[in-house]
Amino acid sequence: MLTKRQNLMEVIKGGTPDRFVNQYEFMELIMEAPMDLPLAPAPGTRVKNKWGITFDWPADQIGSFPMHDEEHKALKDITDWKNQVKAPSVFYTDEEWAAAEAHAKSVDRNDKFVTAFCAPGIFEMTHHLMSMEDALMALYEEPEAMKELIDYVVEYELAYAAEVIKHIHPDALFHHDDWGSQISSFISPQMFNEFIVPAYKQVYGFWKANGVELIIHHSDSYAANLVPFMIEMGIDIWQGVMTTNNVPELIKKYGEKITFMGDIDSGRVDFPGWTREKIYEDTKKACEECGKLYFIPCLSQGLNISSFPGVYEATSDVIDQLSKEMF
Amino acid sequence: MSKIEEVKAKVEAGKSKLVPGLVQEALDEGSAPAEVLQAMVESMGVVGDKFSAGEIFVPEMLIAAKAMSKGVEVLKPLMAGDGSTSLGTCVIGTVAGDLHDIGKNLVSMMIESAGFDMVDLGVDVPADTFVQAIKDNTNVKIVACSGLLTTTMPALKEAVATVKAAFPDIKVIVGGAPVTPEYAAEVGADGYAPDAGSAAVKARELATA
Repeated sequence: MLTKRQNLMEVIKGGTPDRFVNQYEFMELIMEAPMDLPLAPAPGTRVKNKWGITFDWPADQIGSFPMHDEEHKALKDITDWKNQVKAPSVFYTDEEWAAAEAHAKSVDRNDKFVTAFCAPGIFEMTHHLMSMEDALMALYEEPEAMKELIDYVVEYELAYAAEVIKHIHPDALFHHDDWGSQISSFISPQMFNEFIVPAYKQVYGFWKANGVELIIHHSDSYAANLVPFMIEMGIDIWQGVMTTNNVPELIKKYGEKITFMGDIDSGRVDFPGWTREKIYEDTKKACEECGKLYFIPCLSQGLNISSFPGVYEATSDVIDQLSKEMF
Repeated sequence: MSKIEEVKAKVEAGKSKLVPGLVQEALDEGSAPAEVLQAMVESMGVVGDKFSAGEIFVPEMLIAAKAMSKGVEVLKPLMAGDGSTSLGTCVIGTVAGDLHDIGKNLVSMMIESAGFDMVDLGVDVPADTFVQAIKDNTNVKIVACSGLLTTTMPALKEAVATVKAAFPDIKVIVGGAPVTPEYAAEVGADGYAPDAGSAAVKARELATA
């Protein structure tokens, strides 16, 4: 039996896996790594992070939202970003790194990839700072200022990456940045190529030049029109790919260059009245249509968790069952 | 190209700095304010269709809507009290328990651009608040309810039922990622739209039927 890491490599290289890669099993996420808290931590909490962005997680909701009313918006005028945006320090004490280092050292790297985690992404940072509407309009109205702001975020990401690499020597990077709604990309491929691709070529290029073998990018959205750019950026696995992308078609077209991880939409199976039968139905369909290569069945959720207790574990259990049925 | 044609082209291209001047020039050339407004509404119709067809994306729609709104600012003083140009009032909101606002804001912008006066109730809107907004505003023709989560679908159903029970003649349209035409019909909505451009078309169709 192949290790989780070997099996993953067989899937993404078009080899001979002995089972489905089961969701996030190949990543050992080092979540103890010190980082600026990007989101509110729990229902009923509100935090202002070190970028000055306020996140609110109301008690009855399933996630946190950046606040963009006049009082809370961190960046009110993109042309004045140099005065209004200040990146936090990327330096943490050895004590702060200790838990992450210990976790990384404990991992059997033949079995799993020691995986660094980064969120939010570069595009997300622009709209967390200034609201989605302001950020998207600024791409047209103040393109130079937007490019400067994106460069500034890239500098921060590169500096943070250097620290993570120094402390935990990751084999893989799991990086978030949502690039679309469920049915379309937020921006056109041309605009994506102009503003976002150069930024990620730098960032992902840096991680790869420093020992990271695998780049997993999360965008739980439609982004089929951006796949050629994902390949150009150096993404090995697109996690969060939703059914709206026609994943089987993407695998046929791009499978040898990028692997697709998802095709089980969390929105369809992860809700208070969830059932194993529904999860089985969606997962079986995904596995049958997408096949055994260049595909990892996974909830579209951006971490190895679910919104409602038991859904992630039930999905893993179903994938194990399907491996037995199909391999 | 006539000035009014230029207005149309620049709204479609989202040139918000140029549109106010061109609107003024069109008026100076003798175009009636209502005619200029109609030209801009038509431009936004084109923008909505292109968005629905996947030819343009959210930023292009946003800047076109902004350009139109700059043009409308020039027309407003000349059209004050002239209700004949409005298709009526549209009350819009994201239903109770749901905080998503980006999609709802885009729909609001596009429906406004189609010629409606908008009352935006924001997010997490209880069903009764939609009803109260109908009572508090004049000439409400459309109520637009947005729901982005599978967990808030029951709230969407409740909003439609509450509005229809209180005001059977007011048209209710629904939308949001998990909403399907079948679901819209099942909960008793009068219309469904898959995106912001289509929502404006549907609102206009229902209000003028």
